[in-house]
Amino acid sequence: MSDETTAETATADNPSSEEDRTILLIGSGPIQIGQAAEFDYSGAQACRALREEGARVVLVNSNPATIMTDSEMADRVYIEPITTEAISEIIEKERPDGVIAGLGGQTGLNVTAELAEEGVLEAYDVDIMGTPLDTIYATEDRDLFRQRMEKIGQPVPQSTTIALDEGESVEQFDEDAFRQRVSDAVDSVGGLPVISRTTYTLGGSGSGVVDEMEELVERVRKGLRLSRNSEVLITESIAGWVELEYEVMRDAANSCIIICNMENIDPMGIHTGESTVVTPSQVIPDDGHQEMRNAALDVIRELGIQGGCNIQFAWRDDGTPGGEYRVVEVNPRVSRSSALASKATGYPIARVTAKVALGKRLHEIKNEITGETTAAFEPAIDYVVTKVPRWPKDKFENVDFTLGTAMKSTGEAMAIGRNFEESLLKALRSTEYDPAVDWADVDDETLETDYLEAPTPDRPYAIFEAYERGYTVDEVEALTGIEPWYLERFKRVTDAAEAAQNGNLQPAATAGQTNAEIAAIAGGGVDVDAVEADVPGRTYKQVDTCAGEFAAETPYYYSARQSEFERGPLKGDAAAGELVVNKAIDSVVVVGGGPIRIGQGVEFDYCAVHAIQALRDLGIEAHVVNNNPETVSTDYDTSDGLFFDPITAEEVADVVEATGANGVMVQFGGQTSVNIGEPLQDEIDRRGLDCEIMGTSVEAMDLAEDRDRFNALMDEMGIAQPQGGTATSKTEALELAHDLGYPVLVRPSYVLGGRAMRVVHDDAELETYIEEAVRVSPDKPILVDQFLAGAIELDVDAVSDGEDILIGGVMEHVESAGVHSGDSACMIPPQSLDEDVYARVREVTEGIAKALETVGLLNVQLAVKDGEVYVLEANPRSSRTVPFVSKATGVPIAKLAAKVMAGESLAELDVEEQTPDQISVKEVVLPFDRLPNSDPRLGPEMKSTGEVMGTADTFGKAYDKAQDSTGKPIPRDGVIALDLSADEFPEPDTPEADALVDGFGEFYDFCEDVDLVEAVKKGKIDLIVSRDRNLLSTAVEEDITYFSTPASARAALEARRAKDEPIDVMAVSDRPRHVARWGIEE
Amino acid sequence: MSDAYIALEDGSVIEARCRAPGRTRGELVFTTAYTGYEESLTDPSYEEQVLTFSYPLIGNYGVREERFESDRVHPRAAVAREFTDDVAAWLSEAGVPAIDHLDTRELVTSIRERGAMKCGIAAGEDATPEAAKAELAECKSMSDHIDIGKRVTTVEHTLYEGGGEYSVALIDCGAKGSIISSLNERGADVHVLPYDASEADVQTVDPDVLFISNGPGDPVNFPNAQSLVETFTGELPIAGICLGQQIVARAFNGETEKMAFGHRGVNQPVKDVQTGQVIMTTQNHGYTVSDPGDLDVTQVNVNDDTAEGLASDDLRIITRQYHPEANPGPHDSLGFFDDVLGLVNKGTPVTAD
Repeated sequence: MSDETTAETATADNPSSEEDRTILLIGSGPIQIGQAAEFDYSGAQACRALREEGARVVLVNSNPATIMTDSEMADRVYIEPITTEAISEIIEKERPDGVIAGLGGQTGLNVTAELAEEGVLEAYDVDIMGTPLDTIYATEDRDLFRQRMEKIGQPVPQSTTIALDEGESVEQFDEDAFRQRVSDAVDSVGGLPVISRTTYTLGGSGSGVVDEMEELVERVRKGLRLSRNSEVLITESIAGWVELEYEVMRDAANSCIIICNMENIDPMGIHTGESTVVTPSQVIPDDGHQEMRNAALDVIRELGIQGGCNIQFAWRDDGTPGGEYRVVEVNPRVSRSSALASKATGYPIARVTAKVALGKRLHEIKNEITGETTAAFEPAIDYVVTKVPRWPKDKFENVDFTLGTAMKSTGEAMAIGRNFEESLLKALRSTEYDPAVDWADVDDETLETDYLEAPTPDRPYAIFEAYERGYTVDEVEALTGIEPWYLERFKRVTDAAEAAQNGNLQPAATAGQTNAEIAAIAGGGVDVDAVEADVPGRTYKQVDTCAGEFAAETPYYYSARQSEFERGPLKGDAAAGELVVNKAIDSVVVVGGGPIRIGQGVEFDYCAVHAIQALRDLGIEAHVVNNNPETVSTDYDTSDGLFFDPITAEEVADVVEATGANGVMVQFGGQTSVNIGEPLQDEIDRRGLDCEIMGTSVEAMDLAEDRDRFNALMDEMGIAQPQGGTATSKTEALELAHDLGYPVLVRPSYVLGGRAMRVVHDDAELETYIEEAVRVSPDKPILVDQFLAGAIELDVDAVSDGEDILIGGVMEHVESAGVHSGDSACMIPPQSLDEDVYARVREVTEGIAKALETVGLLNVQLAVKDGEVYVLEANPRSSRTVPFVSKATGVPIAKLAAKVMAGESLAELDVEEQTPDQISVKEVVLPFDRLPNSDPRLGPEMKSTGEVMGTADTFGKAYDKAQDSTGKPIPRDGVIALDLSADEFPEPDTPEADALVDGFGEFYDFCEDVDLVEAVKKGKIDLIVSRDRNLLSTAVEEDITYFSTPASARAALEARRAKDEPIDVMAVSDRPRHVARWGIEE
Repeated sequence: MSDAYIALEDGSVIEARCRAPGRTRGELVFTTAYTGYEESLTDPSYEEQVLTFSYPLIGNYGVREERFESDRVHPRAAVAREFTDDVAAWLSEAGVPAIDHLDTRELVTSIRERGAMKCGIAAGEDATPEAAKAELAECKSMSDHIDIGKRVTTVEHTLYEGGGEYSVALIDCGAKGSIISSLNERGADVHVLPYDASEADVQTVDPDVLFISNGPGDPVNFPNAQSLVETFTGELPIAGICLGQQIVARAFNGETEKMAFGHRGVNQPVKDVQTGQVIMTTQNHGYTVSDPGDLDVTQVNVNDDTAEGLASDDLRIITRQYHPEANPGPHDSLGFFDDVLGLVNKGTPVTAD
């Protein structure tokens, strides 16, 4: 720490007087598997904490869909690539005194390490604040880590490293010598099975338990290529032990505390990000807990960590009072787990980490939750927290979702209950996951092998199923390896369901089922009213960090059933429980978006947070219901009331009833919140609550989603749509396709988000689609639409107050029709619209806004072909492009929407449409490297997990910056595999094909090899343009940049041409814009 | 149907489920620890109290005797949101009533607002609200249990050998086993003496240190231990834990008082006045030192500034309000026992004249 004196003299009461340093905070970039919204939460919290101390904060992140990149979050906000090139320029401009690396996940750590290695930090005299770089290396390098642990007498699993020596490369290995090296490594850790891990990769990608030598050799070869430091670690497998994590905090004066521990229900061998996790630990005795607590403190002191840190242990009961443990891993930074620990306990780890990095002591930092204690304490909790991951299983048919040491989940839900069952069922409900298994079709043997022995996203449901079939706890334990304490409680859930079927409803309520669920289980005409009268009602408890020992001021609540002897719903103040609310003040409940999944990412949390902020601006109290522990919306000081609960009509209505809210907003939380609109209205009516669903009516939202009614409306208004219809049989589908002419776009009518959507080119493809992908029937029709080949697609985001409309922005997609809008790169403003089309786009948007009586946000997707503007979809709610539009134009449309929904008019708000003078490109990040066997080609089904933004004077440079930000940069030179053989690409010797060949030929050598796959494996290729699935899969495995559509290939070429343009690093607020109405020549 | 009731001083009677039958009464207190239920339930400092666990699920990892802190269960009764069958069986056998299926957070917050309360419990087949109220009516306040020491102390001098490097006379006012084992582990033989041991009893064992143990209730009710401290001051190093600190403080013109609801848990932050370092401690006390008298306050509670450590360098005295022996709770302060034994070799300071 460079500035001890400042730290020593600063006190909690007088924090900001001396602090005048400029701090650079590096974010984590796009949402991807292994790195989700948790770093937006921790970064946003850190920004506030640092500024509270008086520091000047410079923030850089490439992800526009984050709260942390809002201009008001930091003194200077840069939405730029997280690369040494861009950050060096930022450092040169802003001259920070220090950089905090531990708040931007692995991405932030890696780039800080690179900046240090390249000498940039030294050149500009930038201190690394908080945890030193040596510590980061000591935790990332397994050998170093083991040495440090051995030095302080801490037991670690046996391990060894296979590394490339100086000058060695993977291709040069003698095959036999290489095998010998791997085999020796295995022997030195006690033989197979072993865990193979690649260092310096996110979320353990390329890691796993391996029990065959062949597989291991392949993994090591690949790992050596991908690892940043060319190392692969081979570790003793301690599969089957209980896996625990300890969240630890240390300040520079060596005060250390444990924030909480977390116990994975799934035994060791499954990545903690993939495990169902419980806080606090349940099966560890005090001796064992204290031994691991001591170890955690010894470790954090030995490593000299300043701030938050996560330590993983493996533990087993070996018959001694405390059991036996191993230190498995240390994460010297805030993490997904620390976000979870913060939400689980109320202890703001990122906030305290940021202050500790400035030099403050724990006892000098106030505990905002109680208002009377300090950060130097260990939270006590009096509830059970369960986290369940959310996997994109529904999006990837061919991917094996057996859980292992690498992450495949995109997000998670957390729940709080007064017993484990309540906490578990609330968490499962919150994930909105549907196992999509018809258990009746699963025989006992399959249940055992595929669903109980193999850990998969479906396992919790399979355990319930097993108990229904009469399996015992012992049998399930033998199959799953899960501690019996948990399995006994799973059984209580099934027992409670059985009791409910026999008329005893209370156990199901105590086990965490909703009244609606209990009514469904009980059957026999038992309705919700009857259930409600017969079971303990729900009330609100406070999360207070201290188990009730001190009176807490922070409005952070969870619902819990009353104790077993209570009956009936609580009314009035009693329903509010510990909730403190002034019903004289107008209040609104904002419904959040739940766990992050493909199609519903952090952008909806951004929208929810903006809605909350806007309401608070208007003096309206804003409450939020959400269950995603990674997010800013679930930070305790984001809203006036945080309700950490599942998002169902019943549970949201509880919040309305308890708070006496005047309104609910369901527009902002993506499909999760929109879906509860109608049932929530019914529930509000059933209870006779005086509360309206604000903004565009539920009825209008339905209309927009009801294809037939929406078609009729468009026809009436003279707005063009692709022709199409509904088919209930194969014959009908073929007839429709013939009428429309191939290619046609086909999809089932009963799923959303582009699932199972295909472009088919002839009868054979259509028939295959119907037979294999969907079984068409009268109750499961398919939609067949005209496919507008080669059309330009547009997205428009707008706000309407019912009278006037404000267009936030018009975006042009890079990809043409046939690629899901969520997966297409897009640019703002559009580059290829002529004046008339532009004007028509505005006219159509305004017309739809009026027709749907939109109050709030409206997203319209359009296609332009031959000068005609077609409507593809209209959604009167927040869209995933809202944050991108807001960041590019500087017009905060989500906030404006919340304000008009609360009754303000656009005229009163006095806002203008703005057009940026530069071009911003949004590009997506795809998860194929995490999901073996997934189809890496862009298509009609959405697959991306996150997004980045690049801005520059030209499209080419903006696209190039965006690619840099995705971590798949376009190389400056090298060898290209240009394979235009797919139908989608232009025919050979056409001008379009020549343009690509000649264009790329200007910069790259063409690969001459016949076997391109082999060439990629050998590391001979630097860039790929192709739609060959096999080739692209290899590119994914080998981490080679590729483009799978003609549109993206052309964009990449333009980007390469613009490579020498200046990188143009600029704070968001400095980017030039002018007032201009979209589509109107002024 | 409920088969247990707890009647509180505020007039309410709460329904619950009987997990171990019986009728009893005591001062209702709570601990916020989520592990260590075996240690807490066998901690003599809980004598005459009804222990509520604020953590809802108690008994998750079973019951093992090697984790006990004494040879019996001390609280008059135990209350949790949910006890496992293991704990219920243990408490039934011990004859200690236990109840669950009630809102313990509500109990905890009532105690926080109103202070530690008297309560009466009736649990079992014939339990009625009236029976619980009748128990409540008979409940005495903690300070009125003037003979409480007798019920928790050893009856005779017992030696726990630790290698003989040091000899410690531990005045047993309700000592936890871990205090003895912590001293044994550091080479000290521990002579456990009854709470009413005489000056001669102490002299007989010829100790290097006089150590006043933890124990239940009001230090005012331990006048004999206080007079032993007064007698051996200057002659022997003196140490005290919890009640022991309060007794030592009173011997040096200090004062003690009853707290609203005390400190019970394993997460109490204590700051060393000199180094500024904060450690986490285990605590279990309803009384505190309000005036340290002639002693120096060396450690304070970060939350409420109460005295957590007292000392006199000249007189070779160190005491702790918290439980450095842990069990349950953090091991951050085990060094205290080294400090105590370290006093032995310092010798009596020569008084300058």
